[in-house]
Amino acid sequence: MKFIVSSSSLLKHLQQISGVINSNTVLPILEDFLFEIEDKKLTIVATDLETVMRVQMEVESKANGKVCIPAKILIDSLKNIPDQPLTFSIDKNFAIEITSDNGKYKVMGENPDNFPKEPVADDTNSFTISSSSLLTAINKTLFAVSNDDLRPAMTGVYFELHKDFIQFVATDAHRLVRYKKTNVKCPKEDNFIAPKKPLNLLKNALPDSDDELTVNYNASHLFVTHGSTQLICRLIDARFPDYKVVIPTDNPYKLLVQKSDFQSALRRVSVFSNKSTNQVALSISGSELQLAAQDVDFSFEGNERMSCQYDGEDLQIAFNAKFLIEMLNAANSDEVKIELSTSTKAGIIKPTEQAEEEELLMLVMPLMLNS
Amino acid sequence: MTQRKIIHIDMDAFYASVEQRDNPLLKGKAIAVGGLPEQRGVVATASYEARKFGVRSAMAMKRAVQLCPGLVIVTPRFAVYKEVSRQVRSIFERYTDLIEPLSLDEAYLDVTENKQQIVSAIAIAQQIKSAVRDELQLTASAGVSINKFVAKIASGMNKPDGLTFIAPDKVTAFIENLPVEDFHGVGKVTADKMNALHLFTGADLKKLDEAELTKLFGKHGHFFYKIVRGIDDRPVEPNREIKSVSAEDTFITDLSNIMELKEQIERISAIVSSRLEQNKYKGRTITLKIRYSNFRLLTRSYSHPVSISDRETIAATAFQLLVKSGLDNVKIRLLGVGVSNITELDGAAGNAQLSLF
Repeated sequence: MKFIVSSSSLLKHLQQISGVINSNTVLPILEDFLFEIEDKKLTIVATDLETVMRVQMEVESKANGKVCIPAKILIDSLKNIPDQPLTFSIDKNFAIEITSDNGKYKVMGENPDNFPKEPVADDTNSFTISSSSLLTAINKTLFAVSNDDLRPAMTGVYFELHKDFIQFVATDAHRLVRYKKTNVKCPKEDNFIAPKKPLNLLKNALPDSDDELTVNYNASHLFVTHGSTQLICRLIDARFPDYKVVIPTDNPYKLLVQKSDFQSALRRVSVFSNKSTNQVALSISGSELQLAAQDVDFSFEGNERMSCQYDGEDLQIAFNAKFLIEMLNAANSDEVKIELSTSTKAGIIKPTEQAEEEELLMLVMPLMLNS
Repeated sequence: MTQRKIIHIDMDAFYASVEQRDNPLLKGKAIAVGGLPEQRGVVATASYEARKFGVRSAMAMKRAVQLCPGLVIVTPRFAVYKEVSRQVRSIFERYTDLIEPLSLDEAYLDVTENKQQIVSAIAIAQQIKSAVRDELQLTASAGVSINKFVAKIASGMNKPDGLTFIAPDKVTAFIENLPVEDFHGVGKVTADKMNALHLFTGADLKKLDEAELTKLFGKHGHFFYKIVRGIDDRPVEPNREIKSVSAEDTFITDLSNIMELKEQIERISAIVSSRLEQNKYKGRTITLKIRYSNFRLLTRSYSHPVSISDRETIAATAFQLLVKSGLDNVKIRLLGVGVSNITELDGAAGNAQLSLF
């Protein structure tokens, strides 16, 4: 088998999918790309057994064929080759020879028959969503996903499909984000949990454009296709926690703050907080919000005050500043509204202005104030 | 560097002796401090009476009971051991501040210069042993020599209540005659490997050059090369911070059965957990080390949002990591479990973060 391909274009395509490959895998073939040529179309596949990504590109070739090529060495070499056509020749023992203007490079490939088979898209349902909308949904939720493998249901984003809207929900048990997108139509009410890694890969592969994506899913897998790029991932087989019951419906106290001011103050004050909790205590009284952090081990202390609009009784409540900063990032408005009740109950954060077709709600549990 | 005087003190059957001291009913009896057999507990320390039956530290308690049917199992009181350890340390501090504790029951002391201007390190070791006996009603064994390696081996030579001195001019001969299995850092598997290569004593190791040793034993080869020549410059470090706590085991035969692997992970995790609890430590990051039969090494780690020290969570996490590493057609010769990102438990930084679910 033999084909000719532009070095820079090949590199660009490989980099779109190389994130799938884990650096230290038990099965050596998972460190390879599968190259498959059919009618001058090269399909490149990468997988970690949970996620599969494939891209297609045009190449010059006379015959069809398949081979597995070690990913790291291929990418490392392409990065250093100036843009030019490269000739790949593969013999029957899967030895690969790459010829460039500068010289020849050899690498041992592997038998493509040993490359894991892709899951088949049986019994799928589908919906369409614009690339930018899916991208926004991922960006607004992924940060709140848990890393706790002992509670697998929370290690992905929950897609809750309704007839005319989708809710994307993520939680790590300490905070929760629910992002609702209304101008999408789903054929039926349904739900699934998509793991973190493939969503991260989509974040990098999808354009921020109005291109329509077709999202297929069945009981076990998710299939996202954009042009010649496709991602398939195994869904998380677990029950998402009943998140609706933990969203407080009647937090009586309302705090209104300038988002960027609040975020900057949190960043400055949290430098002085205990590094294991990032605890920043908020004292709210009248139109004044005080922020206080300390680390007794090092005698660090940070205090600030800022103005706010507050409707409620005087309150002292502590949060992990890192959580607050990340959640404020997800809010796209100049001001945010924080709804509170007591110092041990969840606070709700909402942007004050939102686009018509979207609704963002975030929950965060406080830290116990050790008085 | 001038000739150093290093003492290694090792409390005899520490936890068991404290229990026997505090509870006269246990005196003279075969006892084991550790977790209960039905909870897959392991032996932390066995009394000398129990050791006669073959009961050893880190052994599954179930096995210990089989070996020694009358064994009395005592639940550990780590707070008490920690307090006693502090009292022992205060005895050391009468002589030097260069104290490097290895655990609650073991420490290196550098007495080259000491607070009481005692010339003889042997005399200091004797005084420490008497003070431990008179003030705490416990016994300790001491090893005295010119470096940490020899001092540590010496302290183990005449247990219990021993004192062994290896004079500077005897160090070379001592190491040459030392069986390889008594070398610190040589476990059963390495010892078997050495024996298979006809390396039985320090003298045999000395015949190999540094390159050969490194080729055979990896980074330990370098250590062996220096040690058999009596070179051990490691200082006694008083403030060595504990960065991680771990335990590992090489299996006699390679394992591939998931249930067997799970059992080993639980056993090793129990050891790690008890070491953490002894020191009142907790850690966030669990690391699993896997060495396959082809010597390929894989380490995988996972960080919890909060610090933990309990055996169940450590074992569950390590097992999860093992499963994720792929178990099809693998043969595993070694498993190790470690906990790092350590915080001391005494602080207020506990689980202050409230949860939604």
